[in-house]
Amino acid sequence: MSPAKVDSAEPLWRAIAVYRFASIGYAVLLVVIHRADYSRLGWAWVVIAVMTAWTVVTTIAYAHPERRTPLLLGADLAVTAGLLLSTAALQYPRAMQQGVMPVTAIWVAGPVLAWAVQYGRRAGVIAALIISGCDFVLRSEAITVVLNGVVLLLLAGVVVGHLARLAAEVETERQHVIQVEAASRERERLARDIHDSVLQVLALVQRRGTEAGGEAAELGRLAGQQEAALRNLVGGALAGTPATGAAGDVDLRALVLPAQSEQITVSVPAHTVRLKKEAADELASAVRAALDNVRRHCGEQARAWVLVEDEPALVTVTIRDDGPGIPDGRLAEAASAGRLGVSHSICGRLRDLGGSATIRSIAGEGTEVELRLPRRAGLPVARSPAAG
Amino acid sequence: MGQDAPIRVMVVDDHPMWRDAVARDLTEAGYDVVATAADGAQALRVTAAARPDVVVLDLQLPDMSGVEVTRGLRAAHPAARVLVLSASGEQQDVLDAVKAGAVGYLLKSAARPEFLDAVRRTADGDAVFTPGLAALVLGEFRRLALGGGADGGGAGAPRLTERETEILRMVATGLSYKQIAARLTLSHRTVQNHVQNTLGKLHLHNRVELVRYAIEHGLADEP
Repeated sequence: MSPAKVDSAEPLWRAIAVYRFASIGYAVLLVVIHRADYSRLGWAWVVIAVMTAWTVVTTIAYAHPERRTPLLLGADLAVTAGLLLSTAALQYPRAMQQGVMPVTAIWVAGPVLAWAVQYGRRAGVIAALIISGCDFVLRSEAITVVLNGVVLLLLAGVVVGHLARLAAEVETERQHVIQVEAASRERERLARDIHDSVLQVLALVQRRGTEAGGEAAELGRLAGQQEAALRNLVGGALAGTPATGAAGDVDLRALVLPAQSEQITVSVPAHTVRLKKEAADELASAVRAALDNVRRHCGEQARAWVLVEDEPALVTVTIRDDGPGIPDGRLAEAASAGRLGVSHSICGRLRDLGGSATIRSIAGEGTEVELRLPRRAGLPVARSPAAG
Repeated sequence: MGQDAPIRVMVVDDHPMWRDAVARDLTEAGYDVVATAADGAQALRVTAAARPDVVVLDLQLPDMSGVEVTRGLRAAHPAARVLVLSASGEQQDVLDAVKAGAVGYLLKSAARPEFLDAVRRTADGDAVFTPGLAALVLGEFRRLALGGGADGGGAGAPRLTERETEILRMVATGLSYKQIAARLTLSHRTVQNHVQNTLGKLHLHNRVELVRYAIEHGLADEP
């Protein structure tokens, strides 16, 4: 058994102890009321005394999780059933036929609850059936009264068993969440403390190396690449902690920031940009397609900027490069020839999401791709910016 | 300033190697490095006496947050302009420092000429806007317009004009002031002023909110 289960079940064990003592009080009351039905009233008080003693024993024994062994739980059930059956020798047969409550009364539910809490619903049902069986043997003539008791016992066994399992699950879940949170806090601390120092050194090497020239410049360039990669990792880890809050939402920034490199600057707002996961994935794919396009058409050294904007009704991502731009008409010509990645993977993706893509290009001043995604995904977009 | 007397610079950074390198770069380029500090407390202690024109501030200090240092520096020596130089570029930290009064932001990976130019422009009173900072400011104005957050917003929130939004978006997508001026047929100075205004609105709003917070919580005797 996991320790988590023990923790969450403790209140239930205390409740069982309280129930047992309270039910003894009820049993005493019933003996007093029905004293005329007992052929051996003195023995009825002995049974009550044994019940009290057994309750004290089990309460002390059940208080410690390691003592809740099958042996103890079995003994609990056996002693309870025995006391229940002892009623046969104490009551007049007439009282049995009328369905007068046995001396033990509702106290017999104690082991049913214990079995349910310790071993779950099924065990609770089995214990309930055993106790009910004894009751049935005892009072078979008063079948409706006994059936009432059976139903209540079964109900107690099932409900309490279910409750115990639910509590254990919640506890396990809680432990898991605490662990995840502790781990992510530790990661944040590491990110801040250690990575920051590494970033400083890498940035310094890049700076000095570039100035020194020659082989040192190559070193500086490599340091710069690593600096950018590490900064993304840290920034991503901080900004893009897996989406909490509304189910299925993710932070678009966490998907777009990794594109950052020496040539590519990604600029985002300070707050999370929430989108449905599917929409965010598609949008991020469109951004990557646009950046691939920049590399393919403008070369490895072309610079590009990505801007993420978040408005209540609209998320906009703009990708601009400083390449030569697309000559007038080439885009349409290529699209009609059916061989341009741009129109298909970018415009198509956005259209499928219910958004739009605009491509603008000024000869000599690069190309600008604007991706607009309305927040209420699935709705067709009313706005139709001038097509590029 | 700039031509006659050398620009007075203070460098605040807990990383000794980096601090020395930055100080040396500045000295070689003709700036007067009047003080260096390894943590926030030290920076606040010396700033009034050192009277820097520009404070080059690393946001990740061991003892204080970037916001606290920025606020403290502005209080100790209001003439000092804070240029944030950050290694990790953590968005919220940068935005908070800028709202607290920093007027520029540069990543440490910026090349030396870019850095030296940023210090000079900061001393001249210009805001140093990288694309990253422009995106943060745009985002913050949108958040304020929504009335989001506990620090006010909604109806009383500052807003950007259409022109300011347009220009910030251009800065955020990597266009230089010169390119923006050409596209909008404005002067370079006008573009600069528009950018500057956006920061001004943010600073003013932040100060108003701070005072309001202080009064509401009984921290201030007089507004």
